[in-house]
Amino acid sequence: MSEPTTWEPKILAFLCNWCSYAGADLAGTSRIQYPPNVRVIRVPCSGRVNPIYIVEALRQGADGVLVSGCHPGDCHYLTGNYYARRRFALLQRYLEYLGIEKGRVQFSWVSASEGARFAEVVTKVTDDVRALGPSRRLNIKAARPAVLEPKP
Amino acid sequence: MKNALPQDVRDAIAGWLQTGEIEVFIGYEAGPVPLRATPAFIRKPEDVGRLIWDATCENNLAAFLPKYRGKKVGIMVKGCDARAIVGLMQEAQWSRENLRIVGVACPGVVDPRKVAGALGVSVDEIEDARLDGDGVAVDGRVLALADVLHDTCTHCEGHVPAMYDVLFGTYDGEDSEPDYSHVRAMEALDTDGRWERFTAEVSRCTLCYACRNACPLCYCSQCFVDHTMPRWVNQTVEPSDVQFFHIMRTFHLAGRCVGCGACTRACPQGVNLRLLLDKLRLDVAELFGYEAGVDPEAKPPLATYREDDPNDFVM
Repeated sequence: MSEPTTWEPKILAFLCNWCSYAGADLAGTSRIQYPPNVRVIRVPCSGRVNPIYIVEALRQGADGVLVSGCHPGDCHYLTGNYYARRRFALLQRYLEYLGIEKGRVQFSWVSASEGARFAEVVTKVTDDVRALGPSRRLNIKAARPAVLEPKP
Repeated sequence: MKNALPQDVRDAIAGWLQTGEIEVFIGYEAGPVPLRATPAFIRKPEDVGRLIWDATCENNLAAFLPKYRGKKVGIMVKGCDARAIVGLMQEAQWSRENLRIVGVACPGVVDPRKVAGALGVSVDEIEDARLDGDGVAVDGRVLALADVLHDTCTHCEGHVPAMYDVLFGTYDGEDSEPDYSHVRAMEALDTDGRWERFTAEVSRCTLCYACRNACPLCYCSQCFVDHTMPRWVNQTVEPSDVQFFHIMRTFHLAGRCVGCGACTRACPQGVNLRLLLDKLRLDVAELFGYEAGVDPEAKPPLATYREDDPNDFVM
């Protein structure tokens, strides 16, 4: 199935309430332009983001996933993003190992005062994902052969 | 019985049962399937004679421990099984004082798939096979045991359990360095090749969850695959369900998998789960300098952090 030429990447962003979500808010109130491809889910903390949400997002048709939290040391809950960082370091390597294209799943630290930086992050993720094209791996909504071939 | 436990070990187990130090002893007994011993749950001292030990004792019996939480239990462990118990102790699933451990120096266990492969048949077609000294007698031939050991055993990092109350058996060889060549080979492929390799490997999976059930560290009382709200995984032929299950189950074992290989041995479809889990073990070692199943006092790597953890992957 050929992609319609109007394809725009769909990017799911998990933003922590205290820093990155406020940073996105600041970008908005400051009238900073950034690509409209991002759909935001506000979470209490980047440490609240279960890796299963990230992989499930790819399954449900997201072309890219961004998780963004407070800078290390600035977590509202003191250490949540440190735990998250370990998990995401492993997850990113693991998904790449399994053949999910590098750039589909990205992580960033954006503080509440970094509205311009939030716009930069979203622009970069959108550009990266646009270059990769529509996500087909894991995606239950991607076209695939209707009949499964029997496996030996 | 050639494979009966030594008398002093049997006496020790019977003694524990007699005095009430343990309620049940989990070991192995002869089973109906060729080249596979069956787990045995011994509650009476007079039944201790049923217990066996040989190269067909492939289950990781630590997988049964979470079902006996709070009770006093005896258990027979190989080197790898003992590492899994260390994992359970770290995660406060088990305390050492409720456990009596019979350790056995394990030269490795038989992989019936390799036996079947040597004969050119499928594993279900092996009807009559038995251990015969240092070999496996099957179909009028004797295969050398060393040639049909499971892959986890040929590169075993610890043949002799590090933790036990009673130890028997001897292992003369040396422990190996962990072998990650299968992981390195997959890493060397390009992105499309890796996806191809991963999806081909798990495509045989029928979502029977034997890997989860055999894993001593998959003890969640409700596994994410059994959730109905939300329903993460459907048992369908949709490839994405299978891929998702394996990604998430193995990722739950990141920093916890001790590499015992029980999942891979349990898989009726021959899915090589070591290809996934060993990557995580390797990365946990590289990123956090941690090895699972070694130190009962250590914090699991994803339950702790360092301020100077790798940060270069973050924008």
